[in-house]
Amino acid sequence: MAATTETDHEEHTGTPGEPPAVPRRRGRGRGLALAVSVFGELLITAGLVLGLFVVYSLWWTNVMADRAADKQGEKVRDNWAQDRVGPGGPGALDTKAGIGFLHVPAMGNGDILVEKGTSMKVLNDGVAGYYTDPVKATLPTSGKAGNFSLAAHRDGHGAKFHNIHKIEKGDPIVFETKDKWFVYKVYGILPETSKYNVDVLGAVPKESGKTKAGHYITLTTCTPVYTSRYRYVVWGELVRTEKVDSERTPPKELR
Amino acid sequence: MYGWIWRHLPGNAWVKALLSLVLVVAVVYVLFQYVFPWAEPLLPFNDVTVDNQ
Repeated sequence: MAATTETDHEEHTGTPGEPPAVPRRRGRGRGLALAVSVFGELLITAGLVLGLFVVYSLWWTNVMADRAADKQGEKVRDNWAQDRVGPGGPGALDTKAGIGFLHVPAMGNGDILVEKGTSMKVLNDGVAGYYTDPVKATLPTSGKAGNFSLAAHRDGHGAKFHNIHKIEKGDPIVFETKDKWFVYKVYGILPETSKYNVDVLGAVPKESGKTKAGHYITLTTCTPVYTSRYRYVVWGELVRTEKVDSERTPPKELR
Repeated sequence: MYGWIWRHLPGNAWVKALLSLVLVVAVVYVLFQYVFPWAEPLLPFNDVTVDNQ
């Protein structure tokens, strides 16, 4: 406070006075100092905002996504439970909330709700989405041969496929629906491919070495971790299906 | 900039500190609620699908 009044005072006395050199240089110097300090503060602010963005992407989106996924997952389980009570009741299953749960023990993060579509809007809720575009996924529940292709986030927004690199050949992938367990076995891994490589979603994914039609599952996400430069792909093939019993006892792969 | 804000906040140092804290929280809220969700899809960190585009 004292400093500012002092300079104000000096300026007042300086401007009307005859020696113009001293006060003018002083004024310019002050302006420059002010500009530099504002610029510096803006830089600090920018740094803080970027830091906050990292916090947002890697932590806050997970919090929000897990919350959304839990809520929707619960809704799906509720729906299943209600349908079970009345077997002849309205069979209109609300598949909008999700069609089932994906269990991948190798990734070690519990069950992942599966919903329709792979738009950011769907995936940001901390779920895995099955492709409707550019190649339509074949749902295992349809019973038809084809590829059940899925995508989920690697980081942030639930990061459901974060540990996709921990999946090895031979590991089980289990898809749980209302009344069936679909047990897949991983047979192919493509650690890095172009994001334009749509062929990995094909009904018969040739790059995985398969040539005949079958019941396949494909997991896609981005790689390396924290970026989206390439895509990571894991293929599995259906081994068997199991009927869900009244206690929903999981298949032996999950026990 | 921050000095200017500090000087223009009313009250003594404690009140100023409290008001600053409120301002900081408000800014963080706006960033997390509106700015980051808007900015995120524009940045190339979270594209997980394969597609033709």
